Amino acid sequence: MTQAQAEFLYTTYIKTTPQRVWDAITNPEFARQYWGHGNISDWRPGSRWDHQKPDGSVLMTGKVLESHPPRRLVLSWVRPDSVADQTEHSRVTFEIDMFEDMVRLNVTHDRLKPGSEMARGISAGWPRVLSSMKTFLETGTPLNTWAGQDRTCDSHATKPDATAA
Amino acid sequence: MTQAQTKTEFVYTTYVTSTPKKVWDAITNPEFTRQYWGKANVSDWKPGSKWSMVSIDGSDVVNITGEVLESRPHSRLVLSWASPENAGNKSEHSRVTFDIEAIGDVVRLNVVHDQLWAGSEMAGGISKGWPLVLSGLKSFLETGKPFDILAVKGPCAAPQAKVA
Repeated sequence: MTQAQAEFLYTTYIKTTPQRVWDAITNPEFARQYWGHGNISDWRPGSRWDHQKPDGSVLMTGKVLESHPPRRLVLSWVRPDSVADQTEHSRVTFEIDMFEDMVRLNVTHDRLKPGSEMARGISAGWPRVLSSMKTFLETGTPLNTWAGQDRTCDSHATKPDATAA
Repeated sequence: MTQAQTKTEFVYTTYVTSTPKKVWDAITNPEFTRQYWGKANVSDWKPGSKWSMVSIDGSDVVNITGEVLESRPHSRLVLSWASPENAGNKSEHSRVTFDIEAIGDVVRLNVVHDQLWAGSEMAGGISKGWPLVLSGLKSFLETGKPFDILAVKGPCAAPQAKVA
């Protein structure tokens, strides 16, 4: 039987270019500055990607399902200890479009188990990550409390879903 | 008979490098809202008072109106929300709650728009409108610059922004 699934949607508008949004997601040197972690991959369809802390530990992993730079990126998303369990794999879709003179970034995180720790973690996490990304791209500096958030994450290292997004 | 209707809600959270007072003012001071929202939000913001979202093109057309249900400056604002033609029809009133909380140097602004009829034009409009308006609010407070689309070109350039 198929299980009920949950999804999380978030849209933000950013005064920047699609290429810079793409780079903010896929270039670990940028992601570390506003996300606290880097996303590591060659971003080719079928390749693995890792969401990695500065110390090299992997918080989240998955495969690149679709990759159309700089417009669309689809990833599977799973904790490293759950890779073997396909039911634990969720999916993240980044859609990057122009809207007037701005970028509209749509993030859809679906194939989540309703009420799961992962669903709760990413629902709290994406607004924070994407707010910080917007600030980073528009002002050159990330949200000021991001370092504090990262410490909070480290103290809850057993809940990587809450730290990753 | 029409089928039973269900209610829906829209939730949006943004984090802004700012203060709770500045976020409050950005929502309630028409001199600020006209800059990034392209509308003037007008009220004395006291519980029980009327509030209106007014066009700034000189027409003074009221786009949305309602009542201030709760008002705790710099912290929480709850409004009823209706198009002017439905002002007298309580079943068409939805509700918007702004919760403003400081977390270090950052403000978490949580907006919940609920008591909406599922599938209604209003529900569709505000779901597109809030991300645009709240992205504009964040840019306005962080960079001092609003989005051109709402502030310069005016409301006609963004129909989905009209309702939110």
